[in-house]
Amino acid sequence: MSTALLTTQELGITINDRPILKSLNLSFNPGTFVAITGPSGSGKTTLLRTLAGELEPVEGKVVNYLDCPTRLAMIFQDLKLGDGATALTNVLGGSLGRHSFLSTLFRFPAQEQEKAHRLLAKFGLSGKSNQWTSTLSRGEKQRVAACRTLLTQPQLLLADEPVSSLDPALAEEILTNLSNSILKQNGCLVCALHNDEQVTKFADLVLRLDPSDPNGWMLEDLKPKEVG
Amino acid sequence: MKPELPWHSRFDLLGITFLIFLLGALGALPSIEGSGRDLDYWGNLSRFTSQFFPPDWSILNRTLEGLLETVQIALVSTLLSIVISIVLSVGAARTIAPVWLLWPTRMILNVIRTIPSLLWALLAVVIVGSNPLAGVIALTFYSVGYLAKFFSETFEAADTDAQQALRSLGASPLQAFQFGLWPNARPIIWSHCLWMLEYNVRSASIIGYVGAGGIGLHLKLYAESADSWNKFSLVLLFILLIVTVLDFTGEKIRKSIRDKLEGQKI
Repeated sequence: MSTALLTTQELGITINDRPILKSLNLSFNPGTFVAITGPSGSGKTTLLRTLAGELEPVEGKVVNYLDCPTRLAMIFQDLKLGDGATALTNVLGGSLGRHSFLSTLFRFPAQEQEKAHRLLAKFGLSGKSNQWTSTLSRGEKQRVAACRTLLTQPQLLLADEPVSSLDPALAEEILTNLSNSILKQNGCLVCALHNDEQVTKFADLVLRLDPSDPNGWMLEDLKPKEVG
Repeated sequence: MKPELPWHSRFDLLGITFLIFLLGALGALPSIEGSGRDLDYWGNLSRFTSQFFPPDWSILNRTLEGLLETVQIALVSTLLSIVISIVLSVGAARTIAPVWLLWPTRMILNVIRTIPSLLWALLAVVIVGSNPLAGVIALTFYSVGYLAKFFSETFEAADTDAQQALRSLGASPLQAFQFGLWPNARPIIWSHCLWMLEYNVRSASIIGYVGAGGIGLHLKLYAESADSWNKFSLVLLFILLIVTVLDFTGEKIRKSIRDKLEGQKI
């Protein structure tokens, strides 16, 4: 078995002192699609932020085995895009970690621009790349945010409901794109999802946040997948 | 049943400020008085204004030259003040600058704003002589006082989400500012710049009165020589024209920026 990218050890988290889950021992392994499901307010975002290192765990710990911190990236539920910048510039923001301030001051390196254009095309946004992000629909913005995070070339991608505003067909296409980009490079994709069909179709492992469970979570291994 | 709010709850900061303003204005009324002499106000007004008509078109060419110089002064000083203001505003924005930089910068801006544009013009004329350069210097200083304040307020109010997101995706603080905060602040900043340009065209047409270049000098000459009010009125007519055109185009551009920013709300 390959080494894990990230593990949790006896992890416990709370929201406003309300316990959400405890004693979570989980490894995030290369080539795995982990889905996190649960009703709204069950703590999916808090868990993802804890995994990303943004929040300190209340109990236990999160151990990060990635060789470089920028190999972990997040697609935020509230997107956090620059409204007055074009879709292309927003996507290129994902490449900033690889370049110095001066080398991106006036324009981005050509190879990054090319990568950004390719990503936008893959997510069906070629025609929108020079539009201000504020003029895009919610679903389009969501895809811009996904492209930006993919351009950081993460090994571990934490996606907080990345397809919540998309119609089912497009959502599946985007999830296929995300999992192809990450899993093929032996990365791990952790996705908060609402739709059970998407979960069974894509996920290898499901972490269900369930308030009725004593520990607050249940793990379900979906391998081997029924649908290819 | 609707819970009754205590009577004083409506006196929030805004309400009290308005009340003080109203009391102040009404209280000031008794001290605003005329000369006390019995003057024929309407007669004076109609005699004076009748000298404005009809405007004297023989000075058209000279007026257009003066206007061109006025607009040039406004353009150059607005450009200079934008560059200086962007630098200063970063120092005056609470969300960006450290405290030791914040207060001195704000103090400088307060001092600059305290001095009216005509006084800046006088100062500049004393230093560099009576020419358009004096106008540029005067309006640059004057505009910086306002633009830098507007810019810093825009930076403070801008959405910082994108900036934080870029930081977490590996960008340096400067990069996060350039690609995260600046795009959100930029549309508002441009619309402030446009307003400043309009304002500077108006100011540039008066500072010539003290010798700082532009159409103001013409106004002064016509006002001081006898029977030239009809020339004066032609100049005013053209200032009105140019200000109206600027106002109209400025409004159009600002509206298109607003529409673009509001975008598709879903």
